[in-house]
Amino acid sequence: MLSCEEVTQLVSESLDRELSLRQRVSTKMHLMMCRLCSRYNKQLAGLREAFRLHAMREEDIDIYPASLSSEARQRIKQALHHTSREPH
Amino acid sequence: MNEEQSEATFQTLDPEAWVDQYGDYLYRYAIARIHEPAVAEDLVQETLLAALQGKEGFKGRSSEKTWLTGILKYKIVDYIRKKSREQPTDNIELAADAMHEHFDEKGGWKVGPAKWTVNPKELLEQKEFWRVFYSCLSKLSERLAKAFALRELDGLSSQEIREILNISATNSYVMLYRARMRMRDCLEVNWLGQRKVRKQNAVL
Repeated sequence: MLSCEEVTQLVSESLDRELSLRQRVSTKMHLMMCRLCSRYNKQLAGLREAFRLHAMREEDIDIYPASLSSEARQRIKQALHHTSREPH
Repeated sequence: MNEEQSEATFQTLDPEAWVDQYGDYLYRYAIARIHEPAVAEDLVQETLLAALQGKEGFKGRSSEKTWLTGILKYKIVDYIRKKSREQPTDNIELAADAMHEHFDEKGGWKVGPAKWTVNPKELLEQKEFWRVFYSCLSKLSERLAKAFALRELDGLSSQEIREILNISATNSYVMLYRARMRMRDCLEVNWLGQRKVRKQNAVL
């Protein structure tokens, strides 16, 4: 019988690799009987989908609370300016 | 917009205007994955320089923003790969970082997950959730954050992640497990916690 700790590991691993038949069966059995691990399993699956959907929407990254400093902005513009004037 | 038009717009565009138009976006994309401002700034600069030199390669099939993001993605992976070669994985760091706060000696939950339903489509529209998400991501250790972002945001395979981070298969599973555990915890405490407070306030 797997412990909850082992089951949470296997649930996470199942998102990264194919589990063996034995692992799949024993995980499934545990999940049917364990309310907390079953919650964990559903939450992890839902979060994974949410993360993927979020990452696919370009505009959503603008939520990130940071922006390019004015020094960096200036520096990058200068670098671009130099390069664009060089003959290729 | 047809292809000719978009190409014409692109050719006449002042590359320095890119910085104003896409600078913040590219910087946020980089800093969300690499938590060092100086490195993120450099990666934005390298991306725009590469774009300038390779602008003939832009065919207007994707948007300019998507094209620049593609270059940045490549630069980020390249940076992480190089850095992981210089500083190989420390197994001791992983061992010291066990999950004792969640499970007892027998592997039973100490405090189980709270009752909340994750509805991905609904969460997608909740700006506050993603603010909490990025704050949680920035609290992960640098190595866990990189593994997590490459796998869960960029959708790379665990095989690719192993190669980029220069780690074994076992290490990659352990790192992703811990990262997911921490992210779930952090979201539960900070997002669910906040929502409960808001609901209570609404009742009052």
